[in-house]
Amino acid sequence: MTLQRDNLWYKDAVIYQLHVRTFSDSNADGIGDFAGLTQRLDYLQELGITAIWLLPFYPSPLRDDGYDIADYTSVHASYGSLEDFKTFLAAAHSRGIRIIIEMVLNHTSDQHPWFKEARSSRENLKRDWYVWSETDTRYQGVPIVFVDTETSNWAWDPISKSYYWHRFFSHQPDLNFDNPAVFEAVWDVMKFWLNLGVDGFRLDAVAYLVEREGTLCESLPETHAIIRELRKRLDLAYPGTMLLAEANQWPADVRAYFGDGDEFHAAFHFPLMPRMFMAVKLEDRKPIIEILEQTPEIPGSCQWFIFLRNHDELTLEMVTDVERDYMYDEYAMDKTMRINRGIRRRLAPMMNNDRRRIELLNGLLMSMPGTPIVYYGDEIGMGDNIYLGDRNGVRTPMQWNSALNAGFSLADPERLYAPVISNAVYGYQAVNADSQKRSEHSLLRWMQSLLQVRNAFQVFSRGTIQFLNPSNHRVLAYMRQFGEETVLVVNNLSSSAQAVELDVQRYKGFIPIEMFGRNLFPRFGNLPYLLTLGPYQFYWFQLRRI
Amino acid sequence: MAEDVFLADDLLRQLMSVGEVDLLVGMSSHNAANTVSQAVRTIEESLQRNFVRQRVVIVNVGGGHQDEDSVVAKGHGNLVEKDVRLPGITSLRTSHRVTANFSGPPSPGIALHTILAAADLLRARACAVVSPATSNLTSDSIANLLRPAYLEKFDFVAPLYTRNKYQGLLARNLLYPMSRALFGCGIRELFSDEWGFSGRLAALCLNQDVWHEEAIRARPEAWMAISAISSDFRCCQTFLGEKSQAVKGPGTDIVEVLRQTVGTLFWCLETQQSLWLDCQRSQPVPTFGTAHELTSEQTDLDRHRIFEMFRSGVTELEPILSSILDPETHSEIRSIVSIEEEKFRFKSDIWVRTLYDFAASYHHAVINRDHLVQALAPLYRGMTYSFLVEHADSSPAEMEAASEMLCVEFELQKPYLMERWKAKVEVKS
Repeated sequence: MTLQRDNLWYKDAVIYQLHVRTFSDSNADGIGDFAGLTQRLDYLQELGITAIWLLPFYPSPLRDDGYDIADYTSVHASYGSLEDFKTFLAAAHSRGIRIIIEMVLNHTSDQHPWFKEARSSRENLKRDWYVWSETDTRYQGVPIVFVDTETSNWAWDPISKSYYWHRFFSHQPDLNFDNPAVFEAVWDVMKFWLNLGVDGFRLDAVAYLVEREGTLCESLPETHAIIRELRKRLDLAYPGTMLLAEANQWPADVRAYFGDGDEFHAAFHFPLMPRMFMAVKLEDRKPIIEILEQTPEIPGSCQWFIFLRNHDELTLEMVTDVERDYMYDEYAMDKTMRINRGIRRRLAPMMNNDRRRIELLNGLLMSMPGTPIVYYGDEIGMGDNIYLGDRNGVRTPMQWNSALNAGFSLADPERLYAPVISNAVYGYQAVNADSQKRSEHSLLRWMQSLLQVRNAFQVFSRGTIQFLNPSNHRVLAYMRQFGEETVLVVNNLSSSAQAVELDVQRYKGFIPIEMFGRNLFPRFGNLPYLLTLGPYQFYWFQLRRI
Repeated sequence: MAEDVFLADDLLRQLMSVGEVDLLVGMSSHNAANTVSQAVRTIEESLQRNFVRQRVVIVNVGGGHQDEDSVVAKGHGNLVEKDVRLPGITSLRTSHRVTANFSGPPSPGIALHTILAAADLLRARACAVVSPATSNLTSDSIANLLRPAYLEKFDFVAPLYTRNKYQGLLARNLLYPMSRALFGCGIRELFSDEWGFSGRLAALCLNQDVWHEEAIRARPEAWMAISAISSDFRCCQTFLGEKSQAVKGPGTDIVEVLRQTVGTLFWCLETQQSLWLDCQRSQPVPTFGTAHELTSEQTDLDRHRIFEMFRSGVTELEPILSSILDPETHSEIRSIVSIEEEKFRFKSDIWVRTLYDFAASYHHAVINRDHLVQALAPLYRGMTYSFLVEHADSSPAEMEAASEMLCVEFELQKPYLMERWKAKVEVKS
């Protein structure tokens, strides 16, 4: 299998997000690596994902989970070598799987050679690669991101005896994009990875590239200009490469990052995610419909990326106070489960391991407009460990089998970068990929069939959406349409059986075909179409006019 | 089969779409075409502001005129389109509106029957009935009706209002003290356009075979309260503030008011005998907010005319009164009728005995019960005249003390009623 030549591949992709460290350890040092990951590619291919998004794997002091990069063109020694990466990349491509990597443009680690040079003296050639000041009073009023740890966006450098600007941790100095040399250096870094063959970049913290006095130093026109220039060069030299924006903002604000189709190819739809959880708990479609109604149109070549869970907390930035309180009360009663403004839990525990709700949420994810992202381990219903610090509770080793260390590593358990989940419900003896492969009705097998159906119809990835709004608010129903493909999706958000009458007058004469079993249902007629759904059940119907 | 079914298919269809709810607010939009729109908006606001997480539904019972229900009922099929978006208010859930349309104007009893059926089918935990005709219906007042039932697990929530001291005289001098003495529960506003109740009281009342009764058709709320008391359910009162009516009720016709209120109260005495005959003493009712609030505006009531109507009415109804009242009471009434206006007072002991005679005679059906209740009108006017004269300069505290004294009088004389009530039964048997 080889990669298909399609510049819009990211629209049809199903992405699997993982950290090399967490996935598979080939050399028994207790830390996952590229060689181990390469060995697991068959598993991912069988699952049906078409792209992998790798969390940062660069050399780094790891004071911010790798987002503090000390060398842009190498691989952290714990994860292997650059050669290992190349091998992994080729193996993934040979299986039709594309690779998206992290690129942190806004800042480096203070251990990066660029910064070391810049702080070494005020006359150093790299001095102007960062943002310096004699005082800490410039850019007053700019919010501090990590309020728990930082008191200012300026940090004192005792070596060069001046302040440097940092929007994140003080050990992450911001690059100065007003200096054209910085832009060229960053472009060189990107070219390095593009020349190796990577298929896309997730650009971290893109809103903060440029600073201007009297502004909040976020999403400035100069920042957009930089992104447009990157995109121009990318399209010219590396067509088919994707740029994904990380901007935790309302869709209307993120819209600017698509430009006229000349900035980012894709961006995360952050507010949709908590609302899917909320809708299932409320047994009411209102939150989902409201947010999608507020989502602006984007250029044809662009795409929203959607997800249920990821390596961070389930962010509750993009909800109202009332909604946040509700989410906390329903999904994080134990305050240990909360961090920052979010919930540090995995999908299965949040659903109390209710298979029907896990399936419903995955069904929603795969049928909503956008490119879905599956977080590693969620396809088998892995649990979390809320007693690990930070967000490490959702970053525990992948559970491959019931052997030592869940089959993740042959190292002594004490040496693992994090303990495996071992409780009675979510422990690796009960939840692991191997046993689920052997069980016909496992979550893994179900996910495989879900992705198989999803991947067979472009309507899911590229189609329009039209909500049907039946009077039963516990049922979320929508039509997806793309070219000749029309699909009706009906979701019961409630814990009890529901009857629903759908107004499908417009589709009179069409035959609905249930897409998982390929069974025919009665033809649409003049009357409202009556369906009954079991608790948390959903239907995907392909509509055919025969 | 179909004619035995109370709930229309269309309503059932709407209820199916709503599913289980936490809160239900019901109203009858009949005769309130001008105010129903504002009422719905106020209810929406109250629910969205105060119950953001709860599953809620508004049930409107309408009929007769299309226009009065149009605001509520537009497009049965699509409830989402009917959502009211209030600036600055975030409700997590879809808010539902359901309309039950009747071909003719629904009576209050039919409206309540429909609301209770909806509450029962939707398994509502707490409900409130409000009147669109109340022009100063507020978001807070609706929440105040719902909260005790939803949060504090009360089963019946009676309203309390700020009253002008000359307002609500029927409640003050008759309905409140009499019901308190007999049923042992001091609900001040037994008859009102707004009240709250629990889902379990709704279910209890729904399953009673009373809905064909005239008393229930006209004013079912007191019966609901008494049903709660009789089942040992928890009752409370909640202060709603001032009340003003956009639409004039039947308050101008005292005979009609007496038929609806006193008639219903007597009917309740009849149907709940075991409750009040065994009831020893009254208990205070838990109250949320101010227990009572009186204002002292001047009244334009024509005292002289009221007195004249009392005197002529009693004279006119002499034969009927003689069959209703105990001879001793009748004699007392005849003697006070002849007293000149300035000196006339209707003493509370005579007033209480008069009412108890009426209640006993209602029980024994000495004459047509409807006529019997109507015959109370002149006597009530006499009491009203006396009250207006006595309390022309009374402070709210003095009025409250007088009210309490009257309640005590009703309680003291309860054995008299019980005796008359039972005595006649013995004669009959």
